[in-house]
This record gives sequence, structure tokens and C-alpha cells, in this order.
Amino acid sequence: MSDQPRILVVDDEPQLTRVLRTGLKSHGYEVRAAADGLAGFEAFNDWHPDLVITDLAMPNVDGLDLCRRLRAISQVPIIVLSAKGEEKTKVEALDLGADDFVTKPFGIDELLARVRASLRRAKTAPMNEATQTTLDSGDFHVDLETREIMVRGKAIHLTPKEFDLLVYFIKHSGKVLTHRTLLAALWGGNYVEQNEYLRVFVGNLRRKIEPDATPRYILTEPWIGYRFDPGQ
Amino acid sequence: MAQRSYNGYVVAVLSVGLSTLVLKIIGSHVNAATVSLALLLNVLFIATRWGSLPALLASIVAMLCFNFFFLPPFGTFTIAATDNWIALLAFLITAVTAGQLSGRAKRRAEEAEVGRREIERLYAELRDAFQRASHAEALRQSEKLKSALLDAVTHDLRTPLTSIKASITTLLDEIRGGESPVALDRESRVEMMEVIDEESDRLSRFINGLIELARIEAGELQLRRRWGVVEEIISTALQRAEPITRNHGVDLQVEKELPAVRVDERAVSEVVYTLIDNAAKFSPKGSTIRLIARRAGEELIQMAVEDEGPGIANDLRERVFDKFFRATRDGDVTTRQPSGTGMGLAIAKGIVEAHEGRIWIESGEGGRGTRVVFTLPTGDEDVEAPVHAAARSENYV
Repeated sequence: MSDQPRILVVDDEPQLTRVLRTGLKSHGYEVRAAADGLAGFEAFNDWHPDLVITDLAMPNVDGLDLCRRLRAISQVPIIVLSAKGEEKTKVEALDLGADDFVTKPFGIDELLARVRASLRRAKTAPMNEATQTTLDSGDFHVDLETREIMVRGKAIHLTPKEFDLLVYFIKHSGKVLTHRTLLAALWGGNYVEQNEYLRVFVGNLRRKIEPDATPRYILTEPWIGYRFDPGQ
Repeated sequence: MAQRSYNGYVVAVLSVGLSTLVLKIIGSHVNAATVSLALLLNVLFIATRWGSLPALLASIVAMLCFNFFFLPPFGTFTIAATDNWIALLAFLITAVTAGQLSGRAKRRAEEAEVGRREIERLYAELRDAFQRASHAEALRQSEKLKSALLDAVTHDLRTPLTSIKASITTLLDEIRGGESPVALDRESRVEMMEVIDEESDRLSRFINGLIELARIEAGELQLRRRWGVVEEIISTALQRAEPITRNHGVDLQVEKELPAVRVDERAVSEVVYTLIDNAAKFSPKGSTIRLIARRAGEELIQMAVEDEGPGIANDLRERVFDKFFRATRDGDVTTRQPSGTGMGLAIAKGIVEAHEGRIWIESGEGGRGTRVVFTLPTGDEDVEAPVHAAARSENYV
């Protein structure tokens, strides 16, 4: 039973933790629940789960605080449960290092899909980045040394910034990346408010890699940022 | 302005001329001193009315007239006696000085008037600006309150919905057998359905509460008042509260021979139930809930529900009656307690006040726990005879 992925659910609403516990268990996960951020943090230290699902508004230590504390000690995937109207807090949580979010009310399928994606990403992430010279992900093949990129077997030409942006996307496939995160990662801290910059580069990059007008790789998360899907 | 100052000079000459004429006619009865004073008066009048320059002209004309008509030899500008020269000179100096002084006083008064008007204008402007600012502030406050209420309401609607949606999709998943088919055991299935059942009830309770609150706020609370007995009201509430008070002791202290009360029994019983429900929710298992009913005056009944819980801080004792306010969630009470909808006490207050009663919170016995007290006037027996009222309600309801 120890090979079952462990999920820690942190929510102050007992009925919801009850449902999630049962729902996730039936899909082969081991589940523990905590009623607030503080209890969640203690459970994390005690139990070392593979993934954390947390509500944002909670008594004592809230979801944001929990993200902050977890990120200080661990790279565990974090999925945030947020409500409409909590967009600001949600973006803050993602900026603090949360990986994904699900908006309440949600179907269990949606949550399960996010859980699977996050766990998959966590598994492939620890590849040895220092010695890695190529990236293979879905439809993308990148040679980091020669800075050549193949999409669906076809070579494309990118400017250096576009190349960096795409590599960053590929390395963080599936994760919701806020505007702020992307700007800070590619242009540095002085540019975190320059959403226009990002929009232009993403637009150019899309024209070069997307087969259709409707993006299938670089997906827009309205008001938040982007999510990269490398395809099959 | 030019027209006005020109008028001043004309009036100056005319008024001095006219005065001279009058003085000349009654000439034999007046001496030189009287004449000089009368002319001086003219100069002062011109100065206060038209300012210093017309006053100067008036002084000169007056001096000439004084000399020509009243200083011997009459009818010439020559003067015989030396002391008359001095008198004329003194008159001229006095007239000019007095004219200039009062002219200046007039200018000062005018300047002061302009200043006063300016201050008034500034004051009005400031007051308007302040009013606009405080109006905007009030609007902002009410907007803030509205959005806080909206947040509370959406949270209370969404929370049960989230549990329901998650449960139902888990059940559907099993039936449809999606990409990773799972079999729920019977226990899990029952649990999901229980959650759906309980959360639907919670939603329904919340919505009923909202409707009740809206009615109270719109002043549409329809009280069906009839003569009732306090013991009955309490026992109805207790019966209803039986499932939630199982883990608590209930101590009933009802004074003997309480007068009948003319109230809406169902509504008052609802108030008592809400208070018992709160007491049970917020006090430890095994503790005692005390129900007290007694006379509190000639035509006043007082009821109270008391628990042995953690109590409510002084500064929150008013706010717990605000709609959607929850001491356990909103009031920085860090203990994890079950919390309600934040409507129970607001509705209770609405019902009590509709009966012209009062409701408030005190500490329980020995300063511990919470005691919620409310009063009800017994009602006016002269308005309707008890039997009649009861019979009538029976017929009409």
C-alpha cells in the first residue's frame, strides 16, 4: 500500500474534506485531512505527502501562508481550491509557488485530472538539469546547447527571448504560470508589471509554434497567466 | 461706478448749497458756530455716503459758502476780522479732516464687508466640499458593507454547493466508469449521499433564513398575535431542539403563574429555539443549558437562555446581532467551533423587536458563559379579549 500517492487535503469545511477523502481514496490515493493551515503544515512535516490540496480562506494559518511555509522547505505540488471572487488571492498563491488551482464548486474529475498532472510533473521534474542538454516533451524537442527547436518534427526559428520563454514553458508544463512569475523569470524583477511585454512575446511565439488560430500549446488562464501543454 | 462717484460730487455741492440757503433764510437766529457745525454735518454725511473725495469738495464749497454768506462783510469773499480768518481756517481743517477720516472709515467698512463675503463664500465652499466628501465616504462605506454581505452570502451558498458537486461527480464517475473506473464501497456511496442530503438541507435552511431576514428588513414580518402561554412556547422550542440538546443538560426555571402573552407564538418559539441551538453549538458537551422565564415588571416578561460555553467578548455582544456576523469566524475567536449561518440572532432580534421587546447578551452565572436575554410586553388586554382573539385567529388562519 505504500506505493499509493499520498495527498494531504487542507480545508476548514468538514463536509468537503469528507467528500474529498472518500473520492480520492476510491481512486487509489492515500488521504489525510487537516482543518487549517497550521494543522496542515504539521501533517505535512509528519507525513510527507506527495501532493497538497488546500483551501485559501481558513482560520489560523490560511492557504497563502501554508503555500509560503511549504515552499520554504519543499517542492511538493500544491493545488489551491479557490472561489470566484478570490482571484487576487489565487494569483498570490500561484506567485507564492502553488502549482495549480481548481475553482469551487468543482467536479471530482477536474480535481483528479489536476492531481494526476501535478503528480506526473513532480515525478519528471527532478531530472538532472545541470547535465541535461536536450528537452523532450510532447510535440517538442529542444537542444539546449545548439538552441535548436523541433515542433512536431519541424525545425522552427526563434529569437533568443522567444527561445528562453518556450524553454521555460516546457520545463513547467502543465503548471499555471502567472504573468508576474514569467516576467520575473525571463526579464527580471523590474519588469513584473509589464504584462504588455509578455503578451507580445507570447503572441509571436504562438504564431511560430501553434498550428491553428486557437492555441493548443500555450493556453491562456484569463487574468492570471498561461499554462503550457506540450501535447502528446 | 463712475456714475456713482459723479453723483457724489453733485450731491456734495447741492447739499451744501441747500443747507446754506436754509441757514440764510433763518439767518437772523443762528450764529457762526451753529452754521459751521451744520455745514460740518453736511461734510460728514457726504463722507460716509460717498467717500473722501466728494467730502473734500463739500468741505471747500462749505468753506466758501461760510465765508461768503456768514462771515462779515457778507456777500464777499473778503474777511474783515482776524479771528474770523482763524474761524474759517479752523472750519476748513476740521471739515477736511473729519471728511477724510469718515471717508477712510467708510472704505475700511467696505473692505471689511468684501472680506466678510469672501470668508462666507470660502466657508460655503468648504462646507459643500466637506458634505460631498462625507457623502462619498458614506457611499463607500455602504458599498463596502454590501460587498462584505455579498461575500458572506456567496460563501454560504457556495460551500454546501461545492460539497454537493464533489459528491455527486464522485458517484457519477462510478456509474459512468470514466477513464479510470473505480468501485466505491457501499459505505463510501452512503457517505456521499449523506453529504448531499445534509448539504442540501443546509442550503435550504440558509435560503429560508435569507427570506425571513429580507421580510424583517422590509418590515413585512407578519405577526399572528394571539394570547399564549409562555410554558407552551418554551416546551415547543425544547421539543424541536431535542435532537441537538441530547448531549447537554437542560435546566428549566419558569416562574409560577406567569401572565398570558399576546404574541406570535410560532415566531417567539423560533427565537427560543435559535437561542437553544446556539447554546448547544457553542458550549461543551455535558454542560448545562439554562432556560429562564420570569416577570420583569407590570406588563413585561423576560426570557433568557444561558450556556456554559466560552462566552462572547464585550465588544462583540452588539455585533453578533448583525446579519451574517459570526463571532467564531469573523470575530477573531481562534477556537475551532462549528459556526452557523450568521442569521439566527439577526432574525431573533427582528422578531423580538417586532413585538416591541428588547434582546441583549450578558455573561452567564458567575461571569462565565453566555446569557441571551429578551423581553416581551404581555400585550394590552383591553385591545382584544383573550378568548375572542384566539377564536378569531383560529377562524382566519
